[in-house]
Amino acid sequence: MASATPASATISLQARGVAKSFESGRVRSTVLHDLTLDMRSGELTLISGPSGCGKSTLLAILSGLQRPDSGQVTALGQDLGQLDIRALERFRLLHTGFVFQGFNLFPALNAVEQVELPLSYLGLAPREARRRAVASLEEVGLGPRMRLRPSELSGGEKQRVAIARALAKEPELLFADEPTSALDAANGQTIIDILHRIARAHGTTVLCVSHDPRLVGHADRVLAMEDGRILSDRSQPSLPDAVPGLKESAS
Amino acid sequence: MVALARKTLVYEWRRFLPAILAVGFAGLLQLLQAALVLGIFGSASVYITGSSADLWAGYPGTQSVNLGRPIDAGVEMRLRMDPAVSQVEPFHWVDADWRGPNDTGGVSVFVSGIDTRAEGMLFAHALPVGLRARLNEPDAVIVDRADLGSLGVKVGDKAVINGHRVRVVGVSSGLRALGGVNVVASLATAAELDTDPANVNRMTYFVAKLRNPAQAEAVAARLRGTTAFGSYDVWTARDFARRSQLYWMFDTGAGAGVLFLAGIVFLVGAVITSQTLVAAVIGSVREYATLNALGVGVGALRKVVMEQAFWVGAIGLVGSAVLGGIFFAFARSRSVPVALDPLTTAACLLLGMGLAIVSGLAAMRSLRRADPASLLR
Repeated sequence: MASATPASATISLQARGVAKSFESGRVRSTVLHDLTLDMRSGELTLISGPSGCGKSTLLAILSGLQRPDSGQVTALGQDLGQLDIRALERFRLLHTGFVFQGFNLFPALNAVEQVELPLSYLGLAPREARRRAVASLEEVGLGPRMRLRPSELSGGEKQRVAIARALAKEPELLFADEPTSALDAANGQTIIDILHRIARAHGTTVLCVSHDPRLVGHADRVLAMEDGRILSDRSQPSLPDAVPGLKESAS
Repeated sequence: MVALARKTLVYEWRRFLPAILAVGFAGLLQLLQAALVLGIFGSASVYITGSSADLWAGYPGTQSVNLGRPIDAGVEMRLRMDPAVSQVEPFHWVDADWRGPNDTGGVSVFVSGIDTRAEGMLFAHALPVGLRARLNEPDAVIVDRADLGSLGVKVGDKAVINGHRVRVVGVSSGLRALGGVNVVASLATAAELDTDPANVNRMTYFVAKLRNPAQAEAVAARLRGTTAFGSYDVWTARDFARRSQLYWMFDTGAGAGVLFLAGIVFLVGAVITSQTLVAAVIGSVREYATLNALGVGVGALRKVVMEQAFWVGAIGLVGSAVLGGIFFAFARSRSVPVALDPLTTAACLLLGMGLAIVSGLAAMRSLRRADPASLLR
């Protein structure tokens, strides 16, 4: 069983000397070169860079979806390399949320059911699962539209349902892969503001991977990647986190 | 718990329709095939199942009721002497040649000579009392409604059996024979139609009713032991009926044909159903991968697929049961021999469900593609 206690009060996710390479035929290409990285809770960290720079692979390794060739990932004080597949699933169930570029919602379920679905596997009572699902949808501003199916929602709304689905589990770690690249500017803005607010309001470690330059201004910290290396690591001054139309969370 | 499997099935019913139809038709085909086989080969033993006798005494080793050979008339006395026996009756079987009034050529018929009294055991279930009584007229015969065409007669017509004039006095239903045509007559008429002089003082079968039908096995074993009246054997009605049906089923090779066809139906159904379910899984593979990323285990996702397979099977089989019932009633109304017992029905439906489950297991394998790392790019 993974421990939920962070190793340090603020550092929730660590990578130490992480390297990863892929083989295609005889060619061996290194995607990540010996990366070392710390991430703090309550922060929105943006990893940006051109496509193919290894940022998605880094996200997969940091979130426990892939294993590094060498190096160590410690999430919430737990060395992910020591967990088997079952234990990793359990760790993800209890501690991590994901938002993907494609919204990946089940066409048959309405918004509140989409959010409830993973909660029911957490062993929550139906009433508690419903309460949390409704609260999450209200937090992303979809309270009035929670009975609608994906086909009745706009792209931005679908991504907000996907965020609510990740958020309702109350994860300490939230990973987002290109969450705005399928959306227009206004919707992209809303999404990144919601992610930022989640980091602030819930103390969640939010790690967002994107090549979308519009997001840079909204992150607490920006890591620029190229060719499997981190080129720069900038922390930015605190940002105003007001999102119009969204309810203030009572976390 | 969100009912993902059922909601998806309802919302995307078009996607699942081919699988439901495949299971439904496979179930329907199995049901109809079983009903026809049981009906056709059940008619091999209609002499036994249509009668109320508990025991049958006949020539030793007789494999099917239509293959009976004469036994000594003294066996009747032997049966009557047993205290468990309450009633004994002869059954005279004659293989004969029919010539109708119309141009139908010769038709091979099986003449059943029976006791025509109201309490007679032979064809007690198949012939109503009034109809039996009509056989008391000299040279009266009854034929099955379904055979009127092949015999070229209608009620009241005259015909010739083995050179002897007979008259059709009525029609029965449910007395179709295998490999020929059944003609029912009184014992006296049958004796006149039997041209073999060796059969005087001999009878094809004796049937007996017991005071307590539950003792049939024991009484049959007891009567079988003696040889005082020449060689004969005694079977319970159930055993003899089954023996006759099995003989027809395996002697004609129909049994193997039925099993072969059942296998083909199962295979084709499973291919269509599994392909449909695989397509449904692939269609939702990104959503499944997302659930796995969120920590929902592969085992739980497999359960969703199996639940869908189960519902596909259940809906399909409800359809085949309803359609099967309609076909069954239709066949009955057209005198097509069909018969189904609850056990066979359950077996056919179970086979259909097995098909759905096997397809679900095949579809489960494609969940391997639901790798959450593949969602990151």
